[in-house]
Amino acid sequence: MVNLVRAELRKLLGLPTAWVGLVLGTLVAPVVVLLNAPYTRRAIAAGTLTDTSDLGLRDLGIGLIGPMVLGVIVVSSEYTSTGRDAPGARQLTTTLAAVPHRLRLLAAKTTALVLVVAAQATVTTAATLTLTQVLHGEHAPVPAPTRVAAAILYWTLTALLAYAITLITRNGIVPLTLLIINSSVVSVSYLLTKVTDLASYLPDIVGAQMFIRDTDFPVQVPPVTAGLVMTAWIVALLAVGAVLFQRRDA
Amino acid sequence: MITIDHVSKTKSRTRILYDVTFEARPGRVTGFLGPNGAGKTSTLRILLGLDSPQSGTALICGRPYRKLDRPLTTVGALLDGSGAHRARTARAHLRWVAASNGLPDSRADEVLETVGLTGDARKRAGRFSLGMSRRLGLATALLGDPEVLVLDEPVNGLDPAGIRWMRGFLRDSAAQGRTVLLSSHLMGELAEIADDVVVIDKGRVVTHGSLADVTGGHRTLEDAFFALTATEAGGPW
Repeated sequence: MVNLVRAELRKLLGLPTAWVGLVLGTLVAPVVVLLNAPYTRRAIAAGTLTDTSDLGLRDLGIGLIGPMVLGVIVVSSEYTSTGRDAPGARQLTTTLAAVPHRLRLLAAKTTALVLVVAAQATVTTAATLTLTQVLHGEHAPVPAPTRVAAAILYWTLTALLAYAITLITRNGIVPLTLLIINSSVVSVSYLLTKVTDLASYLPDIVGAQMFIRDTDFPVQVPPVTAGLVMTAWIVALLAVGAVLFQRRDA
Repeated sequence: MITIDHVSKTKSRTRILYDVTFEARPGRVTGFLGPNGAGKTSTLRILLGLDSPQSGTALICGRPYRKLDRPLTTVGALLDGSGAHRARTARAHLRWVAASNGLPDSRADEVLETVGLTGDARKRAGRFSLGMSRRLGLATALLGDPEVLVLDEPVNGLDPAGIRWMRGFLRDSAAQGRTVLLSSHLMGELAEIADDVVVIDKGRVVTHGSLADVTGGHRTLEDAFFALTATEAGGPW
């Protein structure tokens, strides 16, 4: 199993797209904190930003593009065509020839992804929160360690969500587009919360409540429950993806 | 030793393999011959555990591929293309494959040398020519120094020198006691290297035996093939 995880780590970190996800995902949140600093200072001074307990943690959301890219490409890279000469040929053939036990393969892939994203989340969370303390220290309380851990967990679960969806679709473009649009341009999940309370339990909405306090979602879910609900989503989607992966012809 | 036993397969409601049965023995090159679409690749994919048959079994050294531990040390397989992600260098590709089967990194450079790609080790697989892709695919197959080789159309895309090299390589492998199964639609090519021949047409094995037996009273393997499959030479297949 150690060999398999090592191989999957090499595979993932050998992809240029993975480094785009890694660098972008790690840097974007601290950079946003830096760029927003004058505005945030003014808002605090003017008294429009009264609850500063989410400061820093809230900025982490923009960096989620990193785990999304990583979660998608860990699967989609197996399915992309290896070249013009053989349009039907894919890396998956090599992967399954090397590791024919499919559930063991998925376990190794999942482990590699979790290791990479958890490391990335730890670095970017530390950077973002440290920067927030340096810039707005007198106004922003240091977040409790459990909230920081929850933020890292949210990143990891988001990567697994992208991974599970791609396992089902076997194509990276659709899930990546939908996830990125939903997390940045227009949050369809958020708009849905305006229509039905049930949307508060969608994975991205409920997961954020693990570490963000001040939300305007219709249903306020306590952090631990939020974590459990998001985990349940991931487990269910991963189970569907694993069953399909096990049964489908490669 | 490869044993394909009564394998049948239906894909998108079309029967593509009917009761396919044959063996490939150690120390011999077995040619799997048939026109495009006859079921050669489908059979090999089932043998390699990539696709599942509706019925029948495909065994390598008595075990299904999916039950092999560190399979690359038993079987080397070459299917369509290089099998490497376009963005990866040849060496990086071989190293992850080696790691997955507990093989040392040094094997990557050794097999690159075997197939004559040492100078291209740092080149990305997406920039490889067709012939280089095939060589990289073969290098991957050789990583675990396997006793069984399963090769789908190995000479496709190779230049004359490459074809000659491949022929020698496969003959040597069999001479060392390896089991070599290769598919081809090129009859002249197969007649040059195969000891045994399995002829498949429209999903059915129409004959199998030694090259001499299959050629039988015909002038060439090609004549025998057209007689066996009752296909008009130059016909619309």
